Amino acid sequence: MTSRKPIAASLAVLGYMIMIVPILFVVAAAFTSGSSLRFPPEGFSLQWFEAAAGHTPFRAALLTSLQLALLSTGLALAVGVPATLAIHRGKLPGKGFIEGLFLSPLIIPELVVGLALFQQLIVTYRIDNFPVLLLGHTALLLPYAVRVTGAALAGSDESLEEAARGLGASPMRTFFSVTLPVLRPGIFSAGLLGFITSFNNVPLSLLLQARDTRTLPISMLDYVQQSYDPMIAAVSTLILAGTVVIAIIAERTVGFTRIFGGINR
Amino acid sequence: MTRRSTFVLLLVPGLLFLLLGFILPALGVLFAAPGATTEDIFSRLVQMFTDPYDLRIIGRTVGLGLVVTALCLVLGFPIAYLLARSESRWAGVLLALAIFPLLLSNVVRTFGWLVVLGSNGAIGQLSMALGLTDSPPQLLYTSFAIIMGLTQLFLPLAIVACYSAISQVEAGLDDAARGLGAGRTRTFWDVVVPLSLPGVVVAATLVFAGSVTAYTTPYLLGGSRQRMLATELYSYSSVTIDWAAASATAIVMTVLVVLVSGLAARLGRKGATT
Repeated sequence: MTSRKPIAASLAVLGYMIMIVPILFVVAAAFTSGSSLRFPPEGFSLQWFEAAAGHTPFRAALLTSLQLALLSTGLALAVGVPATLAIHRGKLPGKGFIEGLFLSPLIIPELVVGLALFQQLIVTYRIDNFPVLLLGHTALLLPYAVRVTGAALAGSDESLEEAARGLGASPMRTFFSVTLPVLRPGIFSAGLLGFITSFNNVPLSLLLQARDTRTLPISMLDYVQQSYDPMIAAVSTLILAGTVVIAIIAERTVGFTRIFGGINR
Repeated sequence: MTRRSTFVLLLVPGLLFLLLGFILPALGVLFAAPGATTEDIFSRLVQMFTDPYDLRIIGRTVGLGLVVTALCLVLGFPIAYLLARSESRWAGVLLALAIFPLLLSNVVRTFGWLVVLGSNGAIGQLSMALGLTDSPPQLLYTSFAIIMGLTQLFLPLAIVACYSAISQVEAGLDDAARGLGAGRTRTFWDVVVPLSLPGVVVAATLVFAGSVTAYTTPYLLGGSRQRMLATELYSYSSVTIDWAAASATAIVMTVLVVLVSGLAARLGRKGATT
C-alpha cells in the first residue's frame, strides 16, 4: 500500500512515529536499573515498578481514581439511559433541544467546567471535594452515555416494542425483554468509554483536587514536578498495560474501532 | 399516569445532574465568582486584550493551536486516506493502532516526550553521539515541545474524522477519475479532498478546540516559559487565587472554542449544500 504513494506514505510514517515512539520510550525507561531518565537506559531491573507499587500517594490516588471512575460511570448510565429512552421513544416536543442539552457539556472546555464547580460548590458552599468530583465527572460522562446508547436505540426497530405491547406485555416487561437487549451493547460501550474517560480525566480532577482526594493522573503530574526519576515511567507502563487489556476486551465484545473511534465498518 | 408523563419523569434525574453539575456553575463563572463582581470580571476581560503579557499568552495559545491543527491535517489526512483505500489486512491493525492512543492517559502520552526531548533524552544523546552538538540542545520547555506533544495527543482525532469522511467517498469515484485520464495527484486533489472536506472541517475543529484548552501538555512540556491560557487559568484559580482573572481567562477560552465550532458548523452546512 505504500510503494506507489511516496509522499502520503512518508507523512503517514512520520505521523505514526509521533503517536507511538514516545510511548515506547516510556516503557523502555521504566525497566532501567539506573536512577535517571537517561537514554539509553542503564541495564534492566524491575526496581521502579516495586518503588511505584510501594509509593503511598500513588496507591491512594489509584483507589480514588477507580472509585470515581466506577461511581461516575454507573451514575451517568443510571440517569443517562432513562433519558435516552425518553429522547428516542417518548415522542416529546423539543426532542432536539433536550438531546442538545445532554450533549452540551462537550462544547464547554472541561477546565472551565472544573473552575465553575470549584468556585461555585467547593469555595462558595464548602461542599467536600469527592462529591463535587463525582458530580462533575458524571455530568461530563452524560453526553457519552446518551449518544452511545442513543445510537443503539436509533438503529433498532421501534415496532418490536409496539408488537410486545400489542401482545399484552406490560411496559416493564417490554422494557426488560425487548428494549434492554437492544440497548445492552450500547450500555456496555458507553460504560467502557465512560470508565476510560473518567479515569484519564485531568481538567476536572485537577481543579477539584484536595490533599486527600487526588486522582492518579493528578498525583503523577504532581510527582513529575518534584522529582524526575523513572518511577513515573513505571506507573505509566502499568497504565498502558491496563489500557491494552481494556482495548482487548472492547475488541472481543463490541469491536474496538466502533467503541472508541465511532467507526462502523 | 400517561405515557408522556412517564417519559418526562425519566428525563428528570439526568436534567438535574446537568443543571447542578454543569449549567448553573458554568453561568456562575461568568457572572458571580466568589469575591469578584461581574464588573471585576469584565474589566479584567478588557485588560486581557490590552495588557502585553496577557496578549502574548492569548497569541501563543491561538498560534500554537493553528500550527497543531495544520500539522494534524497534513499528517492525519494521508494516514486516513491510505487506511480507507487500502485492501491490505494490515489496514485494520494500523487503524486500531491510530485509535488506541485515544484510550491512553494524556499524562502517560505526554510524559513520553520528557523521555525523548529531555537533556538526557534520546534526541539530545543521539545528536551528541553523532557529533552534531557538544551539549544537549534545549528542546524541552520550548514551543517545539508543545507542538510535538499536542500533535501526538490530537492526531488520532484527526485521523478518525478524516477516515470516516473518506470511507464515505466511494472508491469507484477515484477509479472513474483515473479512467477518464486524471493522474493520481489530480484525482486526490480534485476528487478525494473536496468530497471529504466536511470531515476535514470536523477534524480541524476538534484538534483546534483540544489544543487551545489542553492543560497537561503546556504544563509538562512548556514549563514556566511557555505559558498558555490553560496553565494560566489553573494558576489563577489555585495558586494566586485571582477569581476575576480566572473567570476572564475561562471566558476567553470558551468564546474561542464556541466561536470556532460555530464557524465550522456553518462551513460544514455550506459544504453540504454546494
